Amino acid sequence: MHRSLFASFALYSAALLLTLFTLAPLVWLVLMSISSPNDLTSVPLNWWPTEVDLSRYGHLVDLNNGAGHRFLAALRNSLLTAGGATLIALIVAVPAAYAFSRRGASLALLFVFLATIMMPPITYVLPLYEIFGGLGALNKTTTLIIVYSAMLLPFATWLMKSNIDVLPVEIEQAAFMEGASTAFTLRRVVLPLALPAIAATCMLSFLVAWDEFFYALIFTSDLSAKTLPVAIADFSAGRVTDYGVIASVGVLATLPPAILAICFQRFIVSGLAAGSVKG
Amino acid sequence: MTNNLQKKERTAVSSNPILAVENLSKSYGDLRILKDVSVAIEAGDFLVLVGPSGCGKSTLLGCIGGLTEVTSGNIQIDGQDVTHTDPAKRDIAMVFQSYALFPNMSVGDNIGFGLEVRKVPKAERDKKISQVAELLKIEPLLDRAPAQLSGGQRQRVAMGRALVRDPKLFLFDEPLSNLDAKLRVTMRTEIKRLHQRLNASIIYVTHDQIEAMTLATKIVVMKDGVIQQVGTPREIYDTPANIFVADFMGSPAMNILVADVTMDGLMARIEIAREDGQEPLILYDPNPGEGIASRPAGALKIGLRPEALTDLGSRSVNAEQQFDCLLDVVEPAGSDTFAVIRLGGTEVTARMHGDVDVNSGDTVPICFDLSKISYFDPKSGERL
Amino acid sequence: MSAISRSREKWVLLFPAILVLSLITVLPFLQTVWTSFTDAEITAREQQVNWIGLENYIWALTDPDFLEALGRTMYFTVVSVGLEGVLGIAVALLLNQKFRGRWFLRVIIILPWAVPTIVNAVAWRLIYHPDYGALNSLLLQLGFIDSYTSWLGDPDRALNMVILADVWKNFPLVAYIALAAMQTIPGDLLKAAAIEGAGAWKRFHSITLPWIIGPMLVVLILRTIEAFRVFDIIYVMTRGGPSDGTKTASFYVYQEYFSYLRSGSGASYAVVVAGISAVLILAYYAGIRRDQRGA
Repeated sequence: MHRSLFASFALYSAALLLTLFTLAPLVWLVLMSISSPNDLTSVPLNWWPTEVDLSRYGHLVDLNNGAGHRFLAALRNSLLTAGGATLIALIVAVPAAYAFSRRGASLALLFVFLATIMMPPITYVLPLYEIFGGLGALNKTTTLIIVYSAMLLPFATWLMKSNIDVLPVEIEQAAFMEGASTAFTLRRVVLPLALPAIAATCMLSFLVAWDEFFYALIFTSDLSAKTLPVAIADFSAGRVTDYGVIASVGVLATLPPAILAICFQRFIVSGLAAGSVKG
Repeated sequence: MTNNLQKKERTAVSSNPILAVENLSKSYGDLRILKDVSVAIEAGDFLVLVGPSGCGKSTLLGCIGGLTEVTSGNIQIDGQDVTHTDPAKRDIAMVFQSYALFPNMSVGDNIGFGLEVRKVPKAERDKKISQVAELLKIEPLLDRAPAQLSGGQRQRVAMGRALVRDPKLFLFDEPLSNLDAKLRVTMRTEIKRLHQRLNASIIYVTHDQIEAMTLATKIVVMKDGVIQQVGTPREIYDTPANIFVADFMGSPAMNILVADVTMDGLMARIEIAREDGQEPLILYDPNPGEGIASRPAGALKIGLRPEALTDLGSRSVNAEQQFDCLLDVVEPAGSDTFAVIRLGGTEVTARMHGDVDVNSGDTVPICFDLSKISYFDPKSGERL
Repeated sequence: MSAISRSREKWVLLFPAILVLSLITVLPFLQTVWTSFTDAEITAREQQVNWIGLENYIWALTDPDFLEALGRTMYFTVVSVGLEGVLGIAVALLLNQKFRGRWFLRVIIILPWAVPTIVNAVAWRLIYHPDYGALNSLLLQLGFIDSYTSWLGDPDRALNMVILADVWKNFPLVAYIALAAMQTIPGDLLKAAAIEGAGAWKRFHSITLPWIIGPMLVVLILRTIEAFRVFDIIYVMTRGGPSDGTKTASFYVYQEYFSYLRSGSGASYAVVVAGISAVLILAYYAGIRRDQRGA
């Protein structure tokens, strides 16, 4: 079908508008991070930096700089927390997913699992806070890892279950027939076959944990455990007068998920679709 | 493995069945897949479960293998009740329709998987794998991945995986149905040769009656979860237990037609109506058997294999029972020529010489051989 | 495998997951419910906790501030999810057309989704900045406004500005799911409709929309559940202000707990929030079942 000139014009205008709407806030965040403080405080703004100023990034990766010290500590905590929680969630989720997919565990139970992450965390955070407080476990990366793995677990179980569902069951039956136990079959047969699914699940889980703010805000109180989102909130609320610093922290915190999202878009989109729509 | 010797001794001294299935039923909710099935085989038997799709044959195999839980009844393998035993502990091996090879392992690792599970040392494992590979002529493939193999090669690997452990019982679930027609015939021969050579006990599921006939030492014909007949291929072919078996086994199918059967002395007089004002066909069966002789005269269903209706000069025929018949359709098939004739209100197939010179619409003499005629109750369809 | 060992094994496989979820979410939630019937407070010293029955609930349900916070949360939820739905479908329609550069647009659309929630909040706070913000500068330079405006300083406007930031981050998810659903529409169906003379709107209305409505419903309810708990973006952008203009339910409960240290009454608010969430969650499952029956 041929499009009329008007339709083409409308189409490309809409595409341009969408591109601007999507990219403008991001581009501006990047520009802020490399503009001089003077450019950022002129009225009206100096949109294009008079000179490219990368010094903030330099400071942020410098342990001896105050901001850098805080940023790098938060980065370390975020990596540890998100990575650790993803690992634990996967280790717990895979057997559970197998039980749902192949051992006839009731799907109602899976829905209960999922309901736990749909409940607002505010509805159970206080008892948790008091329990961890009583154990002297507040402000510890380990505590956050445990809480995050509970947060990631239902979705990871769900995603792995839908992926195990589509593996050919005869291959597992063959393994059982050959005398393998369930654990052996999981390790030697199911996991290798589900590797792409595991990778996708890990990635999505990591991104969710990387993004988490609420628990981190409540359970952490200083550099030893604060994650990037909390550190960024601190930066933006604190005494920093140079908005470019906040912007550059934001850019750095966005880079890992943005790169993952662009590189593994197909994975992520199908994972999100499976996770949110398919029942 | 170490129990090989013991096993051979055991099977030699006892005549216990290697597999005994007793009163097995399987239901999914209200749906009854298997209804009170009992079957047993001796060591060395090649049992083929055959029937149309949905007859329960694969479910029965699944129950024997332990992949499907049974609803009631019990299963014994070599005298041991295994009804509720893990498949892993039944000492059986299975070849799946889809081959079910482990895609992440090499051919060699696939074959050796069961040995790896049993912690057989690497050296011994490799020795057994290469023995089996030699037997199946797949030595050059051992390092390849299953994805790199052709269908026939995968089939061999799947069999290799089953053979390497020397289990008590082999289960085959439609193993040839994913192969093309030519390869299927080759592999069929190969499986038969393996069975003869290893004297293994095999249970084999198929919907292909030719596979059943060629491979089995014993056939079980199933329909709707009920066993219709158990017997050797010859018994099943020559004396089908009912019209279903008669119709299902053999290609082209057995001709089933309605006839009036009366006793004329010791012979049965069989009168078959014809169409278009033609005189009825009168045939005589010299040995009708007690069942027919003692029955009041009346309409019965009779079964005649296509090879019982043939042209003159073909095989050894009783030229006395010879009638001119109109050939509705003639279908040359190379070694045979099949002709469709309208008889007894239905279409029947005659099997004539391959080089006979006839055409559709010809009227030619057809000889009727009643030595293997079957009689069926017209209502129940059971053999008389 | 035998029935007994199979079902036992099922529980072995499930046990770690059940343990983690029970300890981290289910039991604390039950504790919250229990606390909501008491006058507990958060203190460092030993305290006498008294069972006070429904008193907290009576208080909560007659507390105009809390009810306003609930209303505000619903406003936030309905408007942002509604906008995400409309924008998501519009973007999916656009991305479902063939045009040069479509792949690029399809790729970059994921970026807002990838931006961490907190970074999103910080970025938009800077954009809305009353003195040096990009929005002010842009609108001024384009001549839409005469002087800089305090976008987040006006209690009536602040929530809408937060909604805009939230929609920017969350429309990609809706758009991708709408697009995925649209891509399963058989091309022949739309072609046949076009040949029959159905215009673009008619085709959208009678073919595309009914086709994608199932998945859309499910994803929008899921977004509703998420939007209803909104906290992070509020915390960073406005802290509930100005004059409580953006104080949502989660934020309200948070303050009751951690600013006023009243865990008993905070818990009763939390249980009310949980009740509303439970209704939404049940709606979500109903939506999934409906969607699957339709498929």
